[in-house]
Amino acid sequence: MIDDRGQGRRGAKGFTSDFLTELFGDPLDPGYTDAASQREKTGRVPRSGWSVGPVSLVVIVLLGFLFAVAYRQTVAAEPGRAQARSGLVAQIQQRQGETDALSTRAEELRDEVNRQREAALGGSQAARLRELEASTGLGRVTGDGVVVELADAPGGQDALGGATAGAGPAQVIYLDLQSVANDLWGAGAEAIAINGQRLTSTSTIRSAGQAILVDFRPVTGPYEVSAIGPDGMRQRYEASGSALTMRQVAKVTGLSFAVRDADDLALPAAPEPRLRYAEPAVSSSASSGGDESSGSGASPSPSGGGR
Amino acid sequence: MIAVLALLAGVLLGLWLDPTVPAVLQPYLPIAVVAALDAVFGGVRAKLDRIFDDKQFVVSFISNVLVAALIVYLGDQLGVGGQLSTGVVVVLGVRIFGNVAAIRRHLFRA
Repeated sequence: MIDDRGQGRRGAKGFTSDFLTELFGDPLDPGYTDAASQREKTGRVPRSGWSVGPVSLVVIVLLGFLFAVAYRQTVAAEPGRAQARSGLVAQIQQRQGETDALSTRAEELRDEVNRQREAALGGSQAARLRELEASTGLGRVTGDGVVVELADAPGGQDALGGATAGAGPAQVIYLDLQSVANDLWGAGAEAIAINGQRLTSTSTIRSAGQAILVDFRPVTGPYEVSAIGPDGMRQRYEASGSALTMRQVAKVTGLSFAVRDADDLALPAAPEPRLRYAEPAVSSSASSGGDESSGSGASPSPSGGGR
Repeated sequence: MIAVLALLAGVLLGLWLDPTVPAVLQPYLPIAVVAALDAVFGGVRAKLDRIFDDKQFVVSFISNVLVAALIVYLGDQLGVGGQLSTGVVVVLGVRIFGNVAAIRRHLFRA
């Protein structure tokens, strides 16, 4: 059978019309059949059994050598890769630990600084400083206010399309949080925190992929926007654009949106703002300035605090 | 039999000498191994078909390795990266598979 093929192929030696068919049909090098038929013609007897010529022996030794070298090479390269990966993982973990330690240390130091400052200043100046810190978001505050709760629709991932068309996804997106925060400021809030992240003058609410970042820290649903403000804040907020929009969105897409009064809210302090470029103006009114640094366009404006 | 012994001798030689492959040649090593495997299985199958030919075997081995290396080099130079070598691996893989199937038919009649 093979000889037949060899005969047939010899007519079309060189290129075959359909390489892939050839490849799948008969993967053997055509040279072998050609050589065999050549031998048949000249009457030479093919080698019997498993003996091969000396040249082939050399090539086979070479083959074994090649395999061994490649094996060695692969084995040698493997620990390097694994080491690099585990090294990176270890580095990440170490840095995370360092960050945690440093932030707790920063917290401690900040408390310490506050204590020292109050001891040094004493009296009315310390009280004034505390008040300024509270209003800029750098100090803890407590008070009565409202809590706006937003949550993704249950099983919301697959609700893209269909009933939700035109109303956006059935998940809370960063724009919702932004508009809620902005309207709370507009309704007279003096301090706002989203899931325990206090908003300051430079806070940002952004999306990064699937996550929502508040001040570059990810927050996950359900979202709780707590705001401390005057008594009528809830009514004013309920009448605001974002409340109306969110109610409509909630009705259409099934995500949940609720506003409730809350007493004795305690909002944490925001992390110390890192001003890299803005410098406080050295003037007599510096104590009331300091808000000159503008956040990104996404930041809620604290000046809307209706004071 | 001699062939198997020769292969073993080559492997032992490689393990014993443990040569360091220059960094320039390292990317060609895996594809050269695949090409060599193709030549080996082709040779074994030819042997079973009783049409083994020394010259054909030697030439196919050397040319396979060289062409495979050349294609990898070309792929690097053309900026298509590993995709040309993927092509080589596919073609050689299909050939190896086919030849192994033929060997299997010879050995087990199945």
